Amino acid sequence: MSRDRFLDSPTIWGLLIGAAALFLLLLVGYPIAYNLVMSVQEVTLGNLPSFSRPWVGLQNYRQLLADPLFLLVAKNTLVFTVANVAAQFVLGLGLALYFQLSFPASSFLRGLVLVGWMLPPLVIGAVWKWLLGSDSGFVNYALQSLGLISGKIYWLADPSLSLLAVTIANIWFGVPFNMILLAAGLAGIPADIYEAAALDGAGPVRRFIWITLPLLRPTIYALLSLTTVYTMRAFDLIYTMTHGGPLDSSNIFPVWSYRMSFELFDFGGGAAIATAIFALVLVVALAYVRSVNAEHPM
Amino acid sequence: MKRRTFCTLATAGSASLALGARPARAATTVSLWHIFGYSTEPGLINIARFNQTRTDVQIDGKSVPFGQLSQQLVKAVATGDVPDLITIDNPTVASFAGQGVLEEVGARVAASKGLAKSRFFPGSWATTILQGKQFAVPGEVNTLMFYVNQDMLRAGGVDLGKPPQTWAELTATAAKLADSAKGKYGIGVSAIQTEEGTFQWLPFLQQSGAGLKTLTSPDAVAALQLWVDWVQKGYASRDILVKRQSEMTDAWLAGNSAMSLSGPWELPRILRDVKFNWTVIPMPVREGKNIHATALGGYVWAIPKGAKNIDAAFQVIEYMLAPEQAARSFAGGRLPAVQDVQPPADLPRAEVYAGFESQLQYARPRGPSPEWPRISEALQRAIQQAITGQQPAQQALATAEATIAPLLQRYPIEGM
Repeated sequence: MSRDRFLDSPTIWGLLIGAAALFLLLLVGYPIAYNLVMSVQEVTLGNLPSFSRPWVGLQNYRQLLADPLFLLVAKNTLVFTVANVAAQFVLGLGLALYFQLSFPASSFLRGLVLVGWMLPPLVIGAVWKWLLGSDSGFVNYALQSLGLISGKIYWLADPSLSLLAVTIANIWFGVPFNMILLAAGLAGIPADIYEAAALDGAGPVRRFIWITLPLLRPTIYALLSLTTVYTMRAFDLIYTMTHGGPLDSSNIFPVWSYRMSFELFDFGGGAAIATAIFALVLVVALAYVRSVNAEHPM
Repeated sequence: MKRRTFCTLATAGSASLALGARPARAATTVSLWHIFGYSTEPGLINIARFNQTRTDVQIDGKSVPFGQLSQQLVKAVATGDVPDLITIDNPTVASFAGQGVLEEVGARVAASKGLAKSRFFPGSWATTILQGKQFAVPGEVNTLMFYVNQDMLRAGGVDLGKPPQTWAELTATAAKLADSAKGKYGIGVSAIQTEEGTFQWLPFLQQSGAGLKTLTSPDAVAALQLWVDWVQKGYASRDILVKRQSEMTDAWLAGNSAMSLSGPWELPRILRDVKFNWTVIPMPVREGKNIHATALGGYVWAIPKGAKNIDAAFQVIEYMLAPEQAARSFAGGRLPAVQDVQPPADLPRAEVYAGFESQLQYARPRGPSPEWPRISEALQRAIQQAITGQQPAQQALATAEATIAPLLQRYPIEGM
């Protein structure tokens, strides 16, 4: 068999699929299964190393639903995720379109915007905590200097504002990622389509609505799913800025799961939350796969 | 590129060989997870000395940030790959021991010449005992005092010779120095929704004359109302709800807070960075009660179940607590858990260390209780509910008591 024939043969397909499946099974499937098993067991530090733990059925889940925090954390997670996905997308698209214009140093500035995405969330959390500090924070100082506010805004310490504060910080963190994917999508749209539309008399707004958005659709679907997944697992930034507080006002599922497992040593409860996050993310991922398939029927 | 990487690796390898200068046959290696994060830590000096003097046992140390000790130990237990010895936060001993994760060391301690109970501070010793069995040995301890910016006090007309000694005096002093419109505050504590918040408030509860069993008493309410008033009257910043102790010290170092509650672990950086005259004062007492109480922090030495070299690990504990090693604690901003060691006289600001040392007699342990994390969580919630104004102090504490009372019934805590 020649080399080309071998690379085209069903044998190699089997090998390739097998390798990928094995990889997924070991590195993705095992932790998920392990977590699922833990979520229906009573897990203590003592029985953590072994699998033979008491089975409790859905008790961890029932406890979770009965927890007075559940509704609050679910609401926070929803608000945090929707606000992040929407704002990151709109701002990312705006920036991507903006940097498509050619002006001096545009590519340099676009590179600069990416810096935010390169910093570790812990650092970003620390910086934003400082920026939003009520006494000596820069944001309050700027707002006061501009005469926009007279008193102080307690961004982090006020339970009605802390979720907004961590959301702002996380939006800032995610916009560059949205911008770069959308910019790549924009670059993939052939210029002659725009030229033809312009010749037919379509202005910039109509070109955007009838050409840019439809042709960008696959990118947008992929991006919205990815951003949703990234946002739902946000942890470090909130942990650094507020630890989920005050009074759990900025607590979302990943932070709650961590605190349940590693601060209260309730591993079953932590696993149940993690399973809930996984289920939500799975729904988003499936929606994404379906939309891609609809776009390119196999 | 590849070649360069290889050369670097080779150099690094030989360098570590040369530095380690280990004997050809080190019989036993004790893997130790510790909190000595800075290269200047006395703990690291102790480890290096141990490795120099011993040929039969060597320590293989790995540093873990204090805040991640529990998480790392949990992960180690989960994977079955535990270290031989670990330093853990003292209120977590009961949780870990209660769930069978720690080796019982009572018999070894009793047989040890160097580790007589009488050498240790009683509060610190108590954190290692659960239901009559000993699961750890106290390592280093810390406690809380108010760091005071003397320049701010003088400018505010406070007599430096008469520092505040009672709740009322402390509050009056804070009131004099606060100017919240300018971002200047009289007093700083951490009311964050973590163990740090509990650590800082619990002494006030104890000073009030109340305890965990009497959380709805007028005394307990007064202890919480004290903090609430500080924030609502602008003597303390509202940001104490989300600021950790180290961040409160940042504010103090920046001259934005006249008095700030914290521990000796801040001393190394304060001595390096401070730009004003300062001192420390003991925590206040409540008028009419005169109960001295302060917090007890610090780590203990524990041997996880499943450790491979228990004998050698215990020898390391004994070595670390011998007077010569224990005396080095001070330079790292910690206090030895043994009472027979004094701060070295050549220490900068030795009187401050002596001040902290003298407060240890009033330092009370958190727990011990396997349910401490839940007790602490309920307290944190009460503190935050009252300070944010979501619930009056009385009601917030009643909610906390509803959670805490059953936990205390299951695991009674002596003296709380």
